[in-house]
Amino acid sequence: MMEILAYAAFGLYVLIIATGGVIAVAARNLVRGLVGLIMTLFGVAGMYLLMAAPVMAFMQLLIYVGAVAVLIFIAIMLVRTGPDGDETRSRSAKEILYAFLGFAAPAIILGRVIIGNPVESVSSPTVVTVKELGKGLLGPYTLAFELISVVLLVAMAGAVLVAFERRLSK
Amino acid sequence: MNPLTLYQLVAIMLLALGLFGLIWRRTLIGMLICVELLLNGAGLSLVASGQLTKASAVLGQLGTLLIMGLAAAEATLVLAIVVIVVRRFQTSDSAAVSELKG
Repeated sequence: MMEILAYAAFGLYVLIIATGGVIAVAARNLVRGLVGLIMTLFGVAGMYLLMAAPVMAFMQLLIYVGAVAVLIFIAIMLVRTGPDGDETRSRSAKEILYAFLGFAAPAIILGRVIIGNPVESVSSPTVVTVKELGKGLLGPYTLAFELISVVLLVAMAGAVLVAFERRLSK
Repeated sequence: MNPLTLYQLVAIMLLALGLFGLIWRRTLIGMLICVELLLNGAGLSLVASGQLTKASAVLGQLGTLLIMGLAAAEATLVLAIVVIVVRRFQTSDSAAVSELKG
């Protein structure tokens, strides 16, 4: 019974992710595309919950929906566009062909590899507590933790510097 | 099909959608949205590998946290670059930004 429920939830999340992804990629209006992206992010958060990783689901909502989506929204706001949308220029046949090849080739190759070489998997994952994650961050993975802090700091400082570029050069 | 394969296939779907959008999209911000899709696929794949195999679950989750941090940093920088491009070219169309200063 629980297994059927899990598969049903999985199917629901796949549906949410696929719908959101298609909207994010194909919507003419960028704000609608962003809403599609947020839908996908919620679907992926649901998958993390299904895999018994509630901390990751929380972080997904906090970082992606809370921070990155707002950043993208501000970017859309800063770019003034015409009344008939942002993606109005037409595409040549060559570009459409490249787009389809560009997503089909890696998807087919990776899909074949994954289906052809199934790895032994555990059906009931163990829950990782926040305590264990914290021990990992302060224990064996301290360097990665510190480096990502530096990367974030440099990215923020760089963004400020780049955005004030003109005023500096004068 | 075991659960891990199913999750990996969803991650591949996100990868494919992201790659497709990266080529399909005209504006820099549209491309940014697609990069976020790609990075989400990577995170999903990592957590699935950590949770559903005998590999260290902590490592998988911390790796995904790292990806989320990188995604945030990348979004910040792209926002700054888009601001500059719009100021110079009056559009965020990726084809308009094709001249080099030299």
